[in-house]
Amino acid sequence: MKLIDSARVIRSKNAGPTQMTIDILFDEAEAFEQARNSKNLTESAIAARYGLSQNQVRIIPYPAANALKVVMDRALIAGTPGDRDVYGAQQHGPLLDLVL
Amino acid sequence: MSAFDKLLASISGQSPRPPLRVLAASGQLGYGIPEAALKAGIARKPHVIGADMGSIDPGPAYLGSGNMATSPSMTARDLRLVLTAARQLDVPLLIGSAGTAGTNSQLHAVAEILRQVAAKENLHFNLALIEADMPRDVVVEAVNGGRTQAIGAIAALDNDTVNDAANIVGQMGVEAFHRALALGADVILAGRACDTAVFSAVPILLGYPAGEATHMAKIIECSSICCIPGGRDAMLGTLDENGFVLESMNPDRRATPTSVAAHSLYEQADPYTVAEPDGVLHVDSAQYEAVDERRVRVHGARWEPSPRASVKIEGATWVGERAILMAGAADARFIENVEDIISAVKETARDIAPPDPAHPYVLYFRHYGLNGVVDWPEPPEVLPREIFLLGECIAATAEEAKAVIAVVRQHLLHHGFPGRLSTGGNLAFPLTPPEMSAGTAYRFSVYHIMSLENNADLSTLFPIRMEEL
Repeated sequence: MKLIDSARVIRSKNAGPTQMTIDILFDEAEAFEQARNSKNLTESAIAARYGLSQNQVRIIPYPAANALKVVMDRALIAGTPGDRDVYGAQQHGPLLDLVL
Repeated sequence: MSAFDKLLASISGQSPRPPLRVLAASGQLGYGIPEAALKAGIARKPHVIGADMGSIDPGPAYLGSGNMATSPSMTARDLRLVLTAARQLDVPLLIGSAGTAGTNSQLHAVAEILRQVAAKENLHFNLALIEADMPRDVVVEAVNGGRTQAIGAIAALDNDTVNDAANIVGQMGVEAFHRALALGADVILAGRACDTAVFSAVPILLGYPAGEATHMAKIIECSSICCIPGGRDAMLGTLDENGFVLESMNPDRRATPTSVAAHSLYEQADPYTVAEPDGVLHVDSAQYEAVDERRVRVHGARWEPSPRASVKIEGATWVGERAILMAGAADARFIENVEDIISAVKETARDIAPPDPAHPYVLYFRHYGLNGVVDWPEPPEVLPREIFLLGECIAATAEEAKAVIAVVRQHLLHHGFPGRLSTGGNLAFPLTPPEMSAGTAYRFSVYHIMSLENNADLSTLFPIRMEEL
């Protein structure tokens, strides 16, 4: 199943101007556990989808909200000339078709 | 007797301390506070009203220029709503990050609007203004003493970066608000402030546990965003010695254990800790329990005081003057070749308008439909039938930026390329003129933690001006 079909919320946003975070929230603990343990949803798999190296991406599970948090460095600090997304609110697209 | 002293007197001697109602009127004062929920909140007779007005999120332009993101008229409207409520109830009103970035220029612009509102409404009170511009010599001293540290992917600070910044502000914590309350402030208008401090300062000064108070503040500072459905309506936090209850003042918004727990993720790199100037909040131990369908009780966050105070500092620096070009295309051959075409036209522009080596202009193009929003590592499998182009020139002067982008526009319109079909012109302009000056470009140059040599230095970084209205 693709992430777009299994997650309830997939949102990206700046965590301060130097970092971006993507929250993936699931309705049920079962779906969360499946995503958490999926071999396709790893730091290296996500890095590849954003053209980053693996050490620039971190995944933090947050079971209290059935959520996975992805944290990555921004290629450009928010609002620096050349930036595409000052708030970082539309950077989740590359994850939507990821198959768990 | 100040509003805070009255509050203190009303609870003194009570053990345990009685439930304290903190009304978060807005997480973005100046963009229009929804009035019905605010009124419902006021009807609950809050002991303190708080509102946040700023953020670093809108980008470096506001910090760099010192201009406000919100309009003066809407700012006046929102100030009137919170000010009249707080004075009617005679409770403390705390407003943080005045004027978007919380620079001194923004703080004083908002203060002037506030004075006009107070005069018009015939309100009289003691006002505290707390400034947050960082003295450059203090920051330079911290840099030279190895007491600044980058947050995330930004260069380490050096003296030039500090001195070149258009503005540098520091985020004040509860300490500054406590000083203002001690001076008898009924209303506090603060420059750049931790969004938590606006809502936790009064509870902490009254002796409520710092862990619970800070956790509650961290959630309600975004008003009703932690609810389902999320929104901008006022949020009420009711704090006691062992935890707090959250309730949106819009009956259609429900706070649930999951929705509130999920809020710890929001705009945070680390969902388990929140760093403040004087300590760290740990929320990994927090518990979330439903009180009913739309209220949640939270407890269990831990507060760990820091032995050494630190301040998050934010600075923006001038980059250049900006002009932009907006155009679209629906030609398959143009879309297929757009990257090469733009490169060729940039070369042509450089021949016609050679960049000044001392301050060369820079051209950026975003190709919406292809990669305007996300820097995708791979092109799309199927090309779109239309694309939108946003061209941007940043130059030393506005005149140069406009001149260069006009050259680019005209040569892009008529650029010939192999296989070209649409020889009448490559671009569709939705507007005329299609290029326009777009103001000054800034970038964030400072986003660091500055640790202090002495905790007492906090009080000198955020000076207070009292005035009687």
